[in-house]
Amino acid sequence: MSRRAVIVLALAVIALLAIAPFYATSFTITLLNYIGIYALVALGVVLLTGFGGMTSFGQAAFVGIAAYGTAWLTTAEGASPWLGLLFALALTGLVATLLGAVTLRLGGHYLPLGTVAWGLAIFFLFGNFEALGRHNGLANVPPIYVGPFSLEPTDAIYYLIWAMLIAATILVGNLLGSREGRAIRSLRGGVVMVESLGINVFRIRLITFVLAALLAGLSGWLYAHMSRFVSPAPFDLRMGIQYLFMAILGGSGHILGAVVGAALITLLEDGLQDLLPLFVRDGQQLEVIVFAVIYVLVLQFARGGVMPLVLRYLPRRTRKRIAAAEPMPRRMMPKPGSPLLKVERLVKRFGGLEAVSGVGFDVAAGEIVAVIGPNGAGKSTVFNLITGALPSDAGKVVFLGEDITRANQRRIAAAGIARTFQHVKLRSSMSLLDNVLLGTYLRTRSGFVAGALRFDRAEEARARFEALRQLERVGLGADPNEPAGNLPLGRQRILEVARALAADPALIILDEPAAGLSRPEKRALAELLRALRKEGVTVLLVEHDVEFVMTLVDRIVVMDFGSKLVEGAPAAVRDDPRVQEAYLGSVA
Amino acid sequence: MRNLLEIKDLHVAYGKVEAVRGVALALQPGQIVTVIGPNGAGKTTLLGAAAGLLRSRGSVIYDGIDLHRVDVEERVERGFCLVPERRELFGDLTVTDNLVLGAYARRRGGDRVQQRLQEVYGRFPRLAERRRQKAHTLSGGERQMLALGRALMARPVLLMLDEPSLGLAPLIVREIFHIVASLRDAGVSILLVEQNARAALETADYGYVLETGEITHQGPASALISDPRVNATYLGGAG
Repeated sequence: MSRRAVIVLALAVIALLAIAPFYATSFTITLLNYIGIYALVALGVVLLTGFGGMTSFGQAAFVGIAAYGTAWLTTAEGASPWLGLLFALALTGLVATLLGAVTLRLGGHYLPLGTVAWGLAIFFLFGNFEALGRHNGLANVPPIYVGPFSLEPTDAIYYLIWAMLIAATILVGNLLGSREGRAIRSLRGGVVMVESLGINVFRIRLITFVLAALLAGLSGWLYAHMSRFVSPAPFDLRMGIQYLFMAILGGSGHILGAVVGAALITLLEDGLQDLLPLFVRDGQQLEVIVFAVIYVLVLQFARGGVMPLVLRYLPRRTRKRIAAAEPMPRRMMPKPGSPLLKVERLVKRFGGLEAVSGVGFDVAAGEIVAVIGPNGAGKSTVFNLITGALPSDAGKVVFLGEDITRANQRRIAAAGIARTFQHVKLRSSMSLLDNVLLGTYLRTRSGFVAGALRFDRAEEARARFEALRQLERVGLGADPNEPAGNLPLGRQRILEVARALAADPALIILDEPAAGLSRPEKRALAELLRALRKEGVTVLLVEHDVEFVMTLVDRIVVMDFGSKLVEGAPAAVRDDPRVQEAYLGSVA
Repeated sequence: MRNLLEIKDLHVAYGKVEAVRGVALALQPGQIVTVIGPNGAGKTTLLGAAAGLLRSRGSVIYDGIDLHRVDVEERVERGFCLVPERRELFGDLTVTDNLVLGAYARRRGGDRVQQRLQEVYGRFPRLAERRRQKAHTLSGGERQMLALGRALMARPVLLMLDEPSLGLAPLIVREIFHIVASLRDAGVSILLVEQNARAALETADYGYVLETGEITHQGPASALISDPRVNATYLGGAG
């Protein structure tokens, strides 16, 4: 399909939706209303699960909290539904914050299990509260008024539902393309790398969780005033599973997947209710089985959902060239030769094994220092202790006069240390550009609201230009929109260097940056590190390529069995018999 | 002599991008053949396709059989094994368990698994010292030894090694290449992909240079070492 045809088709769909009440039956409009209401919840699931990597079976409970909240306020207290909206969202947000604070620290399958637990608990709460009408629910919920217009008719509230859905979709889409949205997308995978960039993982997880709950809450408010009656049944765990499945069926990696999934499930359910009774008597029960079969088939054969299948037939989005922008401000580099990093008698034990036993060395600003030694000597562990990725058992690390021994990774990143990892830690489905943009997190300010409302564009343009500049600097500027996972392993390491540079560090710590690089690539990397030294950036690295190290660095620290063996200038270290015995094997 | 492995006109594509384009190579029994080339040339992809992990066009003939319809498991059962670049160990299992799993394709061999385990421990005494340790606690060199040892448990006829020296200290690199050479002496044929081109060519009998998915040079390893162009680009010689 050509690009033009896609646009025409999309406009046609929007136009058909806009005038639907004029040609469709009220039954069709009711179906569309339900699709819109479900899609809002599924949108939250896409954000939470598809992008944030947190699986929740409990979203139906948030729909229920909001629906009951507004129903109670408008019936018992006679308040306006608009006041009910504020109350419902506040209540949902509060409950989500509390639940999130408790359960989001759980990892692996414990988090989904936790959502099942509170999903069930909240559902039973609805049915046992006298003020909430127990299992009979609350009736006579008033309709919404916009000025003098009542939204009681099906085709009137239709516009409100779809306007809210479209607005929410656009806001979530904007958010995902912003600074905090990238942080959300980086949550899938280990957290050590994310924290090393100065991103507060727990905060991002909690806010994402509350945002998803608020979308469910908005849906609950619309539901209560559309059906004008609430009872516990629509908020049970079965619906929670259904919402999750809508997102997965539609495509949890795409915002539109929420609408597609909600539409498919709603239409399918409706179709089955018409069809199945023609063949069997107990259609209701068979419906559950048909859905179960579809769930299993989708999980087996189309895990990405429907959206990727659709997108395959659409032209690829042509990405705009990254425009030149004002360069981002840079940090004041410490005076060359002044003390930068002081490592004193560091100790790290793993069980009975002392991996690092009393290692100490100094690094002055503007130096390139290498740590070398046999595999298992504790080099990477020392780097992890300096950067806060691991807590040390004893010893002291001072950076720019500040004691950072007990500081967490984020504070150390903020102090001006950026790093790469021995085992590459990238987000392989994110583009090269997005991976490097993650590095600019601490140099940028825009929050969730600014991102969703696109108030961040000026800052974002500068950050994108900076990220492109760093990509070009390491020789990866040719195709910034390519997914990082397409790069061979050696270049993935170099991409990590670009990400670290994007943080504008005073000290850059590189763990085997040249491993897997060919000779010309190693030469280019050495050139880059020399250029960085000229700019005042200090480099601390672990590397096994002896020639690379000997011709590049100012000073070498040799480690063996967790201790410092020798320290000195490259030539002296190379000639030291202890180093030859432990590491080089013979005269190298 | 008949070729043990013969790859003809092999193409591998990721979506629309062809990473390997019309590669042909041959390996005779008892040989070490190396493929060198820059990052992104398609070396890992080539091994992945030969092992049956990636879909490809063209023919891979091993021991006289066209592997077109032979799946990964059966290739391993026939002695055609890959040691991947990232080692891919089972981190939460012990060294011994990792090794025993390597013999899975030969599981109907009964007590010979124990015998092969002793052989591997004989070859890698460091692994024997750590037999009860979990794999994720091993150092880089020990991990590579374990990956090699695990492949040896399948009693390979042809072993494909992807960057065995990656991330290893010079002493260990030398040790790994000694092991590779000793495997040939024990009758195992080896297809070796390496970034450390000099060490690879010094160990191998025959070499291929792969650039952007195509073979650009080939010849006896000793001839490639002295080829001025190869030397300048990959070995860091003058030029």
